[in-house]
Amino acid sequence: MGASAATVPGDRSRLERSPVSRLPDQVLRWGLTGLAAAILILLGYFFIRLIGQSSNTFSSFGLSFVFGNDWDVSRNIYHGFPLLFGTLLTSAIALIIGVPVAISAALFVTELCPRRLRGPLTILVDLLAAVPSVVYGLWGVFVLEPRLLPAEKWFASTFSFIPFIGGGTPTMPNYFVAGLILAIMILPIVSAITREVMATVPAEDKEAALALGATRWEMIRMAVLPYSRPGITGGAMLGLGRALGETIAVVIVIGNAPVIGSHLFNQGYSLAAVIANEFGEAAATPIHSSALFAAGLVLFVLTLIVNLLARRFISRGQHGHRGTGATGVSIGVSAPQ
Amino acid sequence: MIKQKKVSTSRIGAVAAILAASLALAACGSSSSSSSSKSGGSGASSSSSSSSGAAATLNAAGSTLAAPIYQQWGSTLKSQGLTVNYDPVGSGAGIADLQTSTVQFAGSDPALKPTDTAKLKGPALQLPVAFGAITVSYNLPGVNTGLKLDGPTIADIYLGKIKTWNAPAIAKLNPGMKLPSTRITVVHRADSSGTTNGFTTFLSDYSPTWKSQVGANKDVKWPTGTGAAKNSGVAAAIKQTSGAIGYVEQAYALINGFHYAAVENAHGRYILPTIANTSAAAQGIAIPKDLGISTINAGGPTAYPIVSQTFLDVYQDPCKAGGANAATASGLKRFLTYAVGAGQQTLGSGANKLPYAPLPSTLAAKDMAQLKAMSCNGSAIS
Amino acid sequence: MSLTEFAPISPARRRRNQLMRGVLMAGTIVALIPLVLVIYYLIHKGAGSLNEKFFTTDPTGNFFGNQGGVRSAILGSLEIVGLASLIAIPTGIGVALFLTEYGKQTRFANVVRYFVDVMTGVPSIVFGLFIYIVLVTSHIGGNFTGWKGSVALSLLMLPVVVRAAEVVLLLVPSALREAALALGAPRWRVISKVVLPTALPGLMTGSLLAVARGMGETAPLLFTVSVAFGATANLGAQMNTLPVQIFNDIGSPNTTLNNRAWGAALTLVALVLIINLIARAVARRSRMA
Repeated sequence: MGASAATVPGDRSRLERSPVSRLPDQVLRWGLTGLAAAILILLGYFFIRLIGQSSNTFSSFGLSFVFGNDWDVSRNIYHGFPLLFGTLLTSAIALIIGVPVAISAALFVTELCPRRLRGPLTILVDLLAAVPSVVYGLWGVFVLEPRLLPAEKWFASTFSFIPFIGGGTPTMPNYFVAGLILAIMILPIVSAITREVMATVPAEDKEAALALGATRWEMIRMAVLPYSRPGITGGAMLGLGRALGETIAVVIVIGNAPVIGSHLFNQGYSLAAVIANEFGEAAATPIHSSALFAAGLVLFVLTLIVNLLARRFISRGQHGHRGTGATGVSIGVSAPQ
Repeated sequence: MIKQKKVSTSRIGAVAAILAASLALAACGSSSSSSSSKSGGSGASSSSSSSSGAAATLNAAGSTLAAPIYQQWGSTLKSQGLTVNYDPVGSGAGIADLQTSTVQFAGSDPALKPTDTAKLKGPALQLPVAFGAITVSYNLPGVNTGLKLDGPTIADIYLGKIKTWNAPAIAKLNPGMKLPSTRITVVHRADSSGTTNGFTTFLSDYSPTWKSQVGANKDVKWPTGTGAAKNSGVAAAIKQTSGAIGYVEQAYALINGFHYAAVENAHGRYILPTIANTSAAAQGIAIPKDLGISTINAGGPTAYPIVSQTFLDVYQDPCKAGGANAATASGLKRFLTYAVGAGQQTLGSGANKLPYAPLPSTLAAKDMAQLKAMSCNGSAIS
Repeated sequence: MSLTEFAPISPARRRRNQLMRGVLMAGTIVALIPLVLVIYYLIHKGAGSLNEKFFTTDPTGNFFGNQGGVRSAILGSLEIVGLASLIAIPTGIGVALFLTEYGKQTRFANVVRYFVDVMTGVPSIVFGLFIYIVLVTSHIGGNFTGWKGSVALSLLMLPVVVRAAEVVLLLVPSALREAALALGAPRWRVISKVVLPTALPGLMTGSLLAVARGMGETAPLLFTVSVAFGATANLGAQMNTLPVQIFNDIGSPNTTLNNRAWGAALTLVALVLIINLIARAVARRSRMA
């Protein structure tokens, strides 16, 4: 197109559109911006409401809500350390058991298994995320607990010299089973992120190691794992986030005793479980419902922090991969129920 | 690109078709649910009950002890146009729902306390409708029927003072019975429960230590033991733990084939929780003006000592206090009339009857009288 | 690293390699065992309840006699999740469009991204409580209703859609966008005619995964929808849903109802699995996702 044909009288470019025809664009732009802003406002309102409902608790109990050890509904005393302890302990168990298994599965699928099996195995591990939480809880209480009890009894008596983990008398719902169920539930998310992260390892690094004569395992150890470590840590933290907030499954298998259990194989409680069990009756008792909202707030803050750290780790581990964390599709079914 | 677009469009079409089909099914479903459906096969058809009025939906929640009753009655009354949705969330949550006016009636085992009525939006009626025995069930291989326990011993077990089944306190009550040395696993409720309220009231009556240390309430600080949600959770825990002891309502004990103890009552006799012994607990009890009875540790020599009453709680003026419309208020009155009238025929011992003890006639008559006080925004309910 | 370090492969190194291969394979099998066990157990306990009546009749509430099936639960779940999808999917795609087309790496957009991520981590029960306090106890539009459950579920589904959609939208080659813009198309036409159709399979995948997530949730529904026996298309009333039906049936003293709960659990898992598999198939078919 020649320069002369590009302009019309008035020095407007021929390709320039009239203000009227730009209207839909502006509407779309501001509409979508408004939508995003609305979501932020909604979340802000949620957070403020949560804080508002909990303020009663913190003004009555202060920090002993989080660090005191006495959850007594009948006397309206709400010191929730046993709950926090249970949440952290079961999540820790979930990480200790779940992360190594998830990494093994991810490594196997990406590096070691025959190409044909890669797809089916990936689908199978990810399908763990599709099973609803309530089904895991029921399976845990009817299948897992009875079968684990003899093993737990043996373990407790054999290792009775170790405080907390050994000794004592195992009872059926306990911290360990809850942690184990949580480990199963976080497997898909940790595994999916680990796979994604390992997929970004530069092929040259891997090929270089193999070319120098490394065995497959040595190549993994030298090229894949160091590169992926930040990303894997991020994935583990996302799994932790899920474990912290898991409700229904834990309610069914933890034993619901608002005390700090004396041993690993004894019952305890968790922040999310107490909300599920007590909210129905607490709805009309302000101090009680405030305490439960405060429990929800503590959980929310925990997951806030964990998510922040996870994002930092994952994006560090993605090294130039699109900075969104690129885990959208697989993360889809990750969050706590 | 065009080829991909075609494929995507057909996929959208498929998804839309599935959605449309399911919504059509739902429409069919809702239309057939409003027409008469067959009622249960039990002999409880309400042939003698009141006339069928306009269709109404009653939303309710509360006691798990009484849940089977209300759900059965709801099924029976469907043919009369009454839809009853009862959510078994526990007595405490049921009362809370009534206090926030999110339900039309609440099922509660314990009577309303002053603290409860203070939070209600208006004056309320509580109508006792049935009695359920709270069994002390156990899972002890080798020990089937015949175990005898009394209040102080049970309290000590739940206090954690008695730790094994062959403890002297238990052996003393059961001479000649071979008791294993299995550790006792105590099971209790984790959620707010009328069943807990009844059980702990019984324990408080017999154990001063329990009364001062723990007390009686829908939700207490248990000195020891595992918590499970709802009667069913406790039943499941008992079933799976050898050496477990727990308190569950009769229906749950019967269904699971539990063995339960004969408990000593105030007259010194060891009584099993049969329907007859449950009814005996309601005989001759004091009936306060607001009908807030308690059958724990009550009744004659044959009475089982841990019998819980269960109430239906409603606002005296459901329209004003609960936001109901006239049709709903009318439906509510019809349901309550059935509950204290013809519905009582469905309770009792014998096949095809719900395993709860019905009201003695004096109490039923008092309930009926209370119903007359119901109004809708001041005017009588038709 | 000297060249002699790796050659030749000593027996010790070979053994270690084999050992670690074994360990990793064992780890994978351990990861898969729970899935197999859960599915097997579900089928074992639930398959017996599945018959025609199970899917075509509503629960009756009877203590004796006919207990009915779970039709109203299946329909209720579909309706509530359907409405939640209608809310969450367009909103989610809209937010993702904002992030990729307009917001990009601005501070505002990054804040939106962070909080959407945070939403993924909020326990669903806390969202249920939020809706309970804001909508249910305030009696806005009724007490416990189906649509309030949908609102609670949409809060859970939204972040899933946003994250998945953003990833997919970013993968649309900028060359396509630029070509359309160069031809004089206004921005909105570029989005509607070029970007969205190209990303469509991936968007569908993300949406289906969000739907699968919504179907399995129990906690939010307990506080917002309560229960019902009959099937209804009225989202302004209390409705039945599969997760709540399972929860309550398991809690019943009636063994027939317990078995029905397992059948319902099997149905729910099957539904969620099918949705997941469809999502994957759609993803695989497209070149983009």
